[in-house]
Amino acid sequence: MDPQTPTTAAVTGQRRWLMRGESLVASAGLAFAGILLSVMIGSAWWTARTQRQALEAAQKIERQAVGDLLARNVGLMLARGELNATRRMVAESLASYRLTQCRVVLSNGEVVAASDPSQITLHKLPAKWIRTRLADDEPGLVSTHGRMATAHPVFVPDRGSATLEIAGPLSVDAELMWESYVGAGAIGAAAMAGLWFVYRRVRSRLRALTAVREALMSMAGGEAAGPSLILSPDLGPEAIAWNDVVVDKERDRKQGVAERAREAFSRRGQGGGDLSSLCDAMSQGLILVDEHNRVNYANGAAAAFLQCKREELVGTEIGQRLQVPTVLDTIRQVATGTQRRRSVLDIERKSEEGPGGVLRFSVRPVRRDDSASAMVVIEDITQQKAAEAARHAFVAQATHELRTPLTNIRLYVETAIEDGENDPQTRAKCLNVINGETRRLERIVGEMLSVAEIEAGAMKLKSDDVRLETVFEELRSDYAAQAQEKKITLAFNLPPKLTVIAGDRDKIMLALHNLVGNALKYTPDGGKVDVTVNVDARQLSVEVRDTGIGMSQEDAEKVFERFYRAKDPRVAKITGTGLGLTIAREVVRLHGGDIAVESRLNQGSAFTLTVPVKAEAA
Amino acid sequence: MKINETRQGAVVVVKPEGALIEQDAAALKQRLSHLLTANLGRFVLDMSAIPYVDSVGLEALVEVTEELAKSGQALRLCAANKTVREVMEITDIAVLFDHFEDANTAVRSFL
Repeated sequence: MDPQTPTTAAVTGQRRWLMRGESLVASAGLAFAGILLSVMIGSAWWTARTQRQALEAAQKIERQAVGDLLARNVGLMLARGELNATRRMVAESLASYRLTQCRVVLSNGEVVAASDPSQITLHKLPAKWIRTRLADDEPGLVSTHGRMATAHPVFVPDRGSATLEIAGPLSVDAELMWESYVGAGAIGAAAMAGLWFVYRRVRSRLRALTAVREALMSMAGGEAAGPSLILSPDLGPEAIAWNDVVVDKERDRKQGVAERAREAFSRRGQGGGDLSSLCDAMSQGLILVDEHNRVNYANGAAAAFLQCKREELVGTEIGQRLQVPTVLDTIRQVATGTQRRRSVLDIERKSEEGPGGVLRFSVRPVRRDDSASAMVVIEDITQQKAAEAARHAFVAQATHELRTPLTNIRLYVETAIEDGENDPQTRAKCLNVINGETRRLERIVGEMLSVAEIEAGAMKLKSDDVRLETVFEELRSDYAAQAQEKKITLAFNLPPKLTVIAGDRDKIMLALHNLVGNALKYTPDGGKVDVTVNVDARQLSVEVRDTGIGMSQEDAEKVFERFYRAKDPRVAKITGTGLGLTIAREVVRLHGGDIAVESRLNQGSAFTLTVPVKAEAA
Repeated sequence: MKINETRQGAVVVVKPEGALIEQDAAALKQRLSHLLTANLGRFVLDMSAIPYVDSVGLEALVEVTEELAKSGQALRLCAANKTVREVMEITDIAVLFDHFEDANTAVRSFL
C-alpha cells in the first residue's frame, strides 16, 4: 500500500450550524432589493424622458402657431405701412412669447424690423420691393440644441413678400421635472422601507428553512448524517423537526451497517466444541509426531508457525516442513524413544522481510502402551526476548550510570578523611563535590523510577487545569540565570493570549523543563535558544529551537531511547543520564501528544512538543 | 488512507489514519495479512486515528482476526473511539477482538 495515499476521512465540521441559514436569506433579500431599486430607477427615468418629449412637442406646436399669428399681423401692418407699429410688436413679442430673437426680413434681404435694433438695415418701408432672396435658402436664424428657430412667410399686398424669423429656447420647466423626480424617489424609499420591514419579519422564518436546505445540500454532497448536520434549535420548529430526521437517519445508518455486517458474519461457520477446536484456540503450536517421524496431528497455530496449510502438514514427514536440523534431530530422538527427557530449543526464525523472530520448540515424549511419539509445542517468544534484551541493557546502563557518581563520592570521602582533617578548605571542596554527586544520584534514581513506572504502565496522569501563562513564566524564571551565565539569548515567543489546557501540570512541566534544559545544556556560550508557543482549538505546540551542537540523523532517531547518548565527544563532557527525553516523550504520549526532533550536526536542534487541547478545558 | 507503522520491540504498531471504508479497508487488510505471515501475528492495530468504520471495514477486521484465530490469537485493537466501539458492539463482533486502552498496553500483552 502506498503510505502517501491521502486520508479520505470526512472531517466533521464543528459548530457549522452557527452560520447556517443566514447566507441564503441575506443574498435573496439583497438581490430582491437590488431588482426593486433598478426597476424603480428605470421607470422613473423613462417617465421623465417621455414627459420631457411631450412637453417639447407641445412647445414646438405653440411656437409655430405664435409665428404664424405674428406673420399675419406683420403682413397686415406692413400693407398699411405701419412700420413703427410693426417694430413695436416685434420688440414686445420677445417678452410675450418667451422668444430670444424676432425679425422681419423683406424678400430682397433687407431687415425692416428686429428685436435687436442694430440688425435693422432699412429704416423706411419701400412702396414696393422685388424678391431677390429665396425664403428658405439662407435662413437668417439657426436652430441649435435646446433652441428653436422658425421662418414664417409674410404676404404684404401690393408691396411684396417678407419672412418673419423667430427664435427662442425650448425649455422644459425644471420645477416640473423635479416634482416627478421627487415623487418617484419618495415612492422608491417607501417601497424599500416596506421591503426591509417584510425582510426582517420573514428572515427569522426563512433562516430555519435555508439552514435545512444547506444541510440537505451538504448531505447530497456526500456528508453523512451526523452531529455536524444538527441545527441550532433556536432556529425554530423546522430546525427541531430536521434534527429529529437527522438523528433518525444516523441511527438507521448505524443499524444498516450493523445489519450488513451481521449478514456477512452469519455466513461464517462456527467451529465445533470438540477437543480439536479446543487445541485450535491455543496460541501455541501443537504437533504430534509418531515413531516414523510422521505428523499425526497439528493445530492451526503450528501450521501458522511453520508457514504451511494444516492439510499439508498432517500425514507428511516432519522433515519436509521443518528444516531446522537441531530440532529435527531432537524430535526424531524423542519420537523413537531414544531420548526420554523434555528438551527446549530456541530457534531464530528466518524471514525474507525484517527480523523474523524467535520460536521456542519444546519437545517431550508421549508414551502410549507400546508406541512412542513426540509432542512438539511451538511458542513465539520474540517479544519476550526483545524485552529481556532491553532489560539487560537497562540494568547494564543503570549500574554504569550509578557507578560514576558513587566512585566520585567514595574518592572524595577518602580524600576528606585523609587530607581534610586538618585542611578545612579541602574538606569543604570535598563536601561540595559529594553534595553535587549525591544530587546527581538522586536525579538518576528519580528518572529511573519514572522509567520503571512507564515500563510497568503504572504512570498515571492527574487531571489539572494547566495555566500555560504561569507555566512559561516559571520556565523563563527558572532558566534565566543559567542562560545569562552562558550568555545564551533565551527568547520566549508566546501568543498574545495563552489558554488553560487540561493535563497533568507536573508532568507537562517536566517535559518542558527537559527540552529547555537540554537546549541550554547543548548550546555553546553565546548561542540562542528560541521557545515558540502556538495554541489553537486543537493543540498546543511548543518548539524549542537552539543553535547548539546538533545531532546526526542517526543520533536524532535514537535520542528518545533509554540511556541513549550521542556518540559526539562533546556530549560526553556534559552530564546527563540519557533518560530525560525518554521520560519527556512518554509523558507527552500519555497526554495523547508527541515530541518530534529535527536536527543538523553543528547547526542546532529543534524539538517540537505537541499536546492535544482537551475540549473540556476552560 | 495513510498507514503508519512503528516497531516496539518485536511488535509492530499499525496506525491507519482516516475512515476505514471501501478500498481503504482492503488496503489495510492486505497490510495486516502481510504482517500476519511476516511477523507471526505480532502486531497491534492502533485505531486512534480512525473516525469511523463501515461494514466493509468491519468485515476486513473480522477476516484478519479470523485468520489470527486459526493460530489461537485475536486481532489486538487499541484506542478505538466511541463511534467505532459502538458499531462493534451493535454488530456483536466486539468479542472477536482483544481490546486495549492504548498501544503500550497492547504491546505489553505480547509478553
